[in-house]
Amino acid sequence: MAATTGTVSIPAGRRRGSFGALAGVVVVVVWALAGVGAFGGDVFNRPGLALVGRFLVAAASPELSPEFLRLTLDATVTTVAYAVLGTAASTVLGLLGGIFVSELWWRRAGRSGWRRRAAGAGWVSARVGLVLPRGIHEAVWGLFGVQVLGLDPLVGVLAIAIPFGAITAKVFAEILDEAPRAPALALHEAGAGHLAGIVYGTLPVALGDLTSYAFYRLECSIRAAAILGVIGAGGLGFELALSFQTLRYHEMWTLITALVVVSGGVDFWSRRMRTSTGPARRRVAKISGAVALGLVVISMVHLAPDVSTLWSARTREQLGFLGAAAWPPDLGRNRFGDLVRLSLETLQMSVVAAAIATAGGVAVAFVAARGDERTGRGRRVPGALVRAWLLLLRAVPPPVWALLFLFMFFPGPLPGALALGLYNLGILGRLMAEVVENHDRRPAFALAAQGATKAQAYAYAVIPQVAPRFASYALYRWEVMIRETVVVGLVGAGGLGRLLGSQLAGFDYQGVVVTLAALVVLTFLVDLVSTLLRRALR
Amino acid sequence: MRPPAPPRAAPPTGASGRPGTAPVFSLRAVTVVLGTTKVLDRVELTVEAGERVAVIGPSGAGKTTLLSLLNSTRLPTEGEVRILGTDPAAVGTRDLRRLRGRVGTIHQQSHLVGPLRVVHNVNAGRLHRWTLARALLSLAWPRDLAEARHHLARVGLAGRLDERTDRLSGGEQQRVALARVLVQGPCAVVADEPVASLDPARAEEVMALLAGLVAEGGTTLVVSLHAFELALAHCDRVVGLRGGRVVFDLAPEEVTPQRAAALYQIDR
Repeated sequence: MAATTGTVSIPAGRRRGSFGALAGVVVVVVWALAGVGAFGGDVFNRPGLALVGRFLVAAASPELSPEFLRLTLDATVTTVAYAVLGTAASTVLGLLGGIFVSELWWRRAGRSGWRRRAAGAGWVSARVGLVLPRGIHEAVWGLFGVQVLGLDPLVGVLAIAIPFGAITAKVFAEILDEAPRAPALALHEAGAGHLAGIVYGTLPVALGDLTSYAFYRLECSIRAAAILGVIGAGGLGFELALSFQTLRYHEMWTLITALVVVSGGVDFWSRRMRTSTGPARRRVAKISGAVALGLVVISMVHLAPDVSTLWSARTREQLGFLGAAAWPPDLGRNRFGDLVRLSLETLQMSVVAAAIATAGGVAVAFVAARGDERTGRGRRVPGALVRAWLLLLRAVPPPVWALLFLFMFFPGPLPGALALGLYNLGILGRLMAEVVENHDRRPAFALAAQGATKAQAYAYAVIPQVAPRFASYALYRWEVMIRETVVVGLVGAGGLGRLLGSQLAGFDYQGVVVTLAALVVLTFLVDLVSTLLRRALR
Repeated sequence: MRPPAPPRAAPPTGASGRPGTAPVFSLRAVTVVLGTTKVLDRVELTVEAGERVAVIGPSGAGKTTLLSLLNSTRLPTEGEVRILGTDPAAVGTRDLRRLRGRVGTIHQQSHLVGPLRVVHNVNAGRLHRWTLARALLSLAWPRDLAEARHHLARVGLAGRLDERTDRLSGGEQQRVALARVLVQGPCAVVADEPVASLDPARAEEVMALLAGLVAEGGTTLVVSLHAFELALAHCDRVVGLRGGRVVFDLAPEEVTPQRAAALYQIDR
């Protein structure tokens, strides 16, 4: 019964595999840092640091005059209106689109032969068809929309609804496909029509997840509306950019506070909906439904988008003009070399931003996680502070962060990467804190009961549970970051976004189409790598 | 008469001061109130070394609470609990950790760490003896592999060292939890409904394994069970719990079908 000394070992290949993966990630991050110029030496723009200092100091005294507060309120309503209408439209699009893009819809049981192959092809093309609207950032849709439809608020709503609708459709399709198939199958066996079976059998289960996701989308829409504001749609983002350009830092902080309050409000509402149980849940749901409806009505009245522009004569004219100006896409001269270089630069920006956001997110996740009734004051206060700080980081639109960093660093991909990294830290920090809040505490408790110390229980029971979820969220945000590089590029930070900005300014539509195509391809590749990695983690 | 069990680690001392005579578990007039419910009501229980005690009773009788008193994860509202002669409420952190290391627990849901490989879950049984540094090192380069393999073989899972724990079936995970307890090498094992999630054949298998391993090492066993027949077959003492009170405390042969029925009867 005595233990023999170890001649048994875990297959070395498995251990090498995980170390290899870790080493690979480190190599990629270092390559990306080199690419954005982090090791370049002279990166700081010293005079600019003084301006940033002044900006930070102004936080203590935001602009509180009545006229400005009224302006802020009006801008807040505008931003919220865009977000609400955009989310409502994208949820409807996502619901319909999701059903028709799900495997559930395309692969009916019992079909065979050419029908099955055609159905398979149909599903693939539906998924691919979603890549285009998803790959183009809301800001670009907004700029495109302004060209075609003119300066109507409808542009802002569509700019959010189209890409978010495509994303929601993809997510909802995945929710439908991962829901248990048995209920719908049973209905089909009993003779129900295909769509009816899905609606009765799978939809009710999936709807809970979809509602939860819709709230997350609302949060994202607030941020998107702010970004659209920066490029001209009005609202808090617009005022923020205006105040920034005239260096009115006190006004900026009033506007930032408004953004933080709105974000915090949506966050609170969404958490209320998700954590209420029992009879309280139905009350919360009813109130939320009424509030949502009220918001939609107010938003429609406040913004007054003119839907008829979609089919007006001027729109058709503009589309025709754009089509002619943009075709054929020009790939001549040295454009291809530039395109590849800038694509790599964009990729490196996204990797650096992802590294910053992930490292920061992991560092704060445990502090930011909400405890339960038993946590003492010593834990609660830092937790609340960190959560507030994360809220601030993600409430300020990335173009504004980028403009601040452009004060501090010379123009190029580095300030853009830092801006995106900081902004996404705010998002990832919160997502990771939620993972920590929701993890299963029983294994750790069981280990403590048999004599393990707290630290040991953490290392053996908590970390192995949360680490894969952390990695999964980080990869998901990386997919989003590659699109967000456009927005920071448009204000001058580098990558394909900066090229796009200069092409739009010079009415070089042929170049614009090529650049957009490159962005879509890049998004698709990152999407692919990220999905593969996430599947390997599961 | 049962011969006294060989002492494990440091021999416990009882009130009389003579080593080896103190009971493993001792509960005196223990009451536990959770919220407004009295879950256990003036329970008296003494378990000597080497006994195999089954705690049976209907749902809500307080079995889980009773067992949580025995592995020191819960303290009584009133009364006195002694584990291996020590009051868990009265000792410092280090001593409590050592005390906990001497009592192993098996749960209904096994409470293993799903994403970890079986070898790490099994080795986790040593955490009460390991320093943090050793524990972390073992996650990267698993230590004491031969012993882990040996105990896995004893529970019939030889060669499964390397798999992710959540890929195993429920019965297999329960056996990994058993192996972990073997690695821990405690004086006493507390098992809370260890086979409730298993089908009758697997349940019998796991109970036989548990009882056998415990008998081999002279370890004390307190197990709560739904299935009355398993209690009769594998234990030498049956405690009936109902409504937080001990209704009977007898040898298996003395538990008549009438007694058992009265225990599980639903009040109308």
